[in-house]
Amino acid sequence: MPIPARTLFFLMILSGLPVLACAQSSTLTGASRSMNPAISVNGLIRGQASRDNPTGDLNGFKIDGVEIQFTSMVDPFWRANFNIGMHPAHTHEGEEEAHAEGMVVHVEEGYIDGQALPGGLGLRVGKFALPFGKHAPLHMHQFPFADAPLVIASFLSDHVFSDTGAMGTVTVPVVPWYADVRVYGVTGEAAPFDAHNKNLVGGGRLTNFWDLTDDATLELSGSYLHGPDARHPGENKNVDMYGADLTWKWISSTRTRGPAMNLTVEALWPDYEEGEGDPWGWYGLAQYRFHRNWWLGLGLGQADSGLNHHEELPGHEDHDHGLEGDLREYKVNLTFAPSEFSALRAEMVYYQDKVTMEDDLRFIVQANFTIGSHPAHLY
Amino acid sequence: MLNMDNNSAGRPAAVLVFVSAILMVLGLGLVMPNRAQAKVKVVATLADLGWIAEQVGGDDVEVEYLCKGSRDPHVLPAKPSLARKMKKADLLIYNGLELEIGWLPLLVNAARNPRIRPGQQGELDCSRALGEGGILEVPMGEVDRAQGDIHPLGNPHFLLDPRNGIAVGHLIAERLAILDPEAADRYLQRADLMADRIQERMKDWEAMVDGMAIRKLIVYHQQWEYLAHWLELEIVGVIENRPGISPAPRHVESLVELGRRQGPVVVVAATWDHIDAAARVAEKTGSSLAVLPGSTFALEEASGYLELFEVICEKLESASAETPKAGS
Repeated sequence: MPIPARTLFFLMILSGLPVLACAQSSTLTGASRSMNPAISVNGLIRGQASRDNPTGDLNGFKIDGVEIQFTSMVDPFWRANFNIGMHPAHTHEGEEEAHAEGMVVHVEEGYIDGQALPGGLGLRVGKFALPFGKHAPLHMHQFPFADAPLVIASFLSDHVFSDTGAMGTVTVPVVPWYADVRVYGVTGEAAPFDAHNKNLVGGGRLTNFWDLTDDATLELSGSYLHGPDARHPGENKNVDMYGADLTWKWISSTRTRGPAMNLTVEALWPDYEEGEGDPWGWYGLAQYRFHRNWWLGLGLGQADSGLNHHEELPGHEDHDHGLEGDLREYKVNLTFAPSEFSALRAEMVYYQDKVTMEDDLRFIVQANFTIGSHPAHLY
Repeated sequence: MLNMDNNSAGRPAAVLVFVSAILMVLGLGLVMPNRAQAKVKVVATLADLGWIAEQVGGDDVEVEYLCKGSRDPHVLPAKPSLARKMKKADLLIYNGLELEIGWLPLLVNAARNPRIRPGQQGELDCSRALGEGGILEVPMGEVDRAQGDIHPLGNPHFLLDPRNGIAVGHLIAERLAILDPEAADRYLQRADLMADRIQERMKDWEAMVDGMAIRKLIVYHQQWEYLAHWLELEIVGVIENRPGISPAPRHVESLVELGRRQGPVVVVAATWDHIDAAARVAEKTGSSLAVLPGSTFALEEASGYLELFEVICEKLESASAETPKAGS
C-alpha cells in the first residue's frame, strides 16, 4: 500500500528536526518561570445592527474573537509561535438558524521558525498564515475594517488564512530594492481546498518593496497557489488562485503619531478546473490618521462569481459552494486608538448583490484590545 | 501535488521544485563571501550610536543606522528595507532598555542573520555601558500599562548625557576589538580620542548652561532626565505624564498651575513631539518653549553627536533668557 504523499512530506520534515520538547529543569522543583513564553491576549467585542435582518443573528453584541498568543525561542535553532483563536460558531448569512451555538476554539497558527539556516534562508514549519496577498494573512485584530473584504472572505477565508505544512523564504540579493520570495506546501485544510484530497496545496509569493522617500513606501506583490477545489470534494478537481496587490504608505517621519496614510488595492482571480463563469474580485481601502489618536477608513470592493445569475450549482446542493452572484461592498469607519493596545471603532457598511439587487446596511461598533506581551506587527 | 499517480497533479510539483531551485541559487548569492569587503559591517539602531560607531570604527568599519535622527525612536516603522540593511551586518548595536522594543525584535527576526541574534558577539546592547546606578528612573513597585508605554528597565534616553556617550564608545571599541582583533588597538585608541573630544567640549556646554537664570524645566516626554542630571537642571513636571499616551486636558491644566507656582520655567519638547501641547503650556505659564533635537541629525545644525549638545545647550540658554523672570 503506497504511503500518501502528504505523510511522506511530513516524515521528511520531521526527520530533520531536533527534539523540541526537552523538559526544562532550571530549579530543584522544576517550577521556574524564567523560560516562559511571551503571552498575550487579543480581544474583539462587537455590536452590530443590520437594516435588513433586524431580528436575526447578525444583530446584538458578541465577542467577535479572542486570540491567545505564545511566543518564545525554543533553543538556538528554532523560535516558536502559537496562536489559539476562539470565535463565534460560524454561521452563513441567509441561513435560518445558526449551525452551532457558542464559541469554537482552533489553532490559527502554530509554527517554528528556523534561526540558524545559512544564507539568510527562512524555514517555517507548522500551521501558519499563508502569504497570499495583503489581507488574507491578517489576524482579525489586525483587520482595517470589522470584517474581511468580500473577495477575501468569498475566495479564501473570513479569518486568518492558515494551513499546515512548510514554507521557505529567501530575500532576493540581486535587485536594488527589497524583494523576497516565499514558497510553501501545505495539506489543504483551509476553506477553499478539498480537505479529503490527499494532494498538497502549493503556492508562493513575490514581494517587492521600495522606500520612495523617508516617509513613503510602495509595495507591489504577486501571489499564486494551487490545490484541490473544495467545490468538488473527492473529484480531484483543482483550483489555481492568482493575486496581485499594491500598497502605498505615507507615515510622517518627523512627528510622533503624526499624519499617516495607507492606500491598498488587491485583486484575486480563482481559476477553477471545473466551473462556470469567470470569477474574480478586488478591494481597495484608504486609511488616514488625521489626529494623533484618530483614523478615518474608506473601503470598497467586489466579489464576482462571474455567473451572472444566482442559483445552486447543479449536483452539489449539500455543500457550501462559496460565492454566487456579484457582491459589492462600501465601507466607512472611524477609529479611536489612544494607544497601541486598544481601539474603538464605529463602522457603516453597505452590501449589495448586483444580480439579485438584494442589499443590506449595517452599523458596527467594535472594541479591540491587547493585553500581555504581544509581538509587533509587520509593516 | 506530490501524488505522482495523478498526471494533472504533476505540474505543481514541478513548479515547487523549480521555485525551490531558484531559492537555492538566490540563497547561494547570500552565502558566497565577498572578498573585497574586509570592513566590519556595523548597523546601529540610532543616529547617535551610528555617529559613535563611526568615530570608534574609522576606516575599519562600514556603518549604517536604522532610525533617522528626525524620527522618534520609540515608533520607527519596521520596514522590510531596514531588515535588509541588517542581513549582512557583523555587529548590531542598539540602545537597549527596551527603547527599540516596538520594532527591533521584528527586524532581527526578519533579517535572519544569525550573527546578530541575542547572545552572539554581533549583538551589543549599549545600555550595558552604564554600569550599576547609571540607569535613571527604574520603576519601583508594580508596573503595568495603566502607566502608559513605561520602560520597566529604566529610562532609556541615556545618550543625552555625553558622559554615557563616552562609555558607549568604549563598549563598542571593546566589541569591535573582539570581532576584528587585527584592528583592536585602533578601535581602543579611537574611543579614547573620541572621549577626549567630548570631554573637551563638555566644559563649554556646561559653562553655557551654568549661566542660565531659569533652571527648572517642564518637559513633554520623559526624555531629558539624563541631560538634566548632567547639567544640574530640575525637571518639575512632565506634560505626557503617561509615556506614549496623549496628555489629558485636566493634567495639562494641573501642569499649568504647577508651572505658575514654581515660578519661571523653560518648557522643553523634542522636534518630533506634540509641539502644540507644549506650546500651550509655555503660553499659559508665561514660559519660553525650547524645541530641542532629541538625537543627532534631528535638526540640520545637529550634524553630529558633538553638535547635538551644542544645539541643545544653545537653545536652552536662549529659552531661559527669553523667559520673563518672576515679578518682571
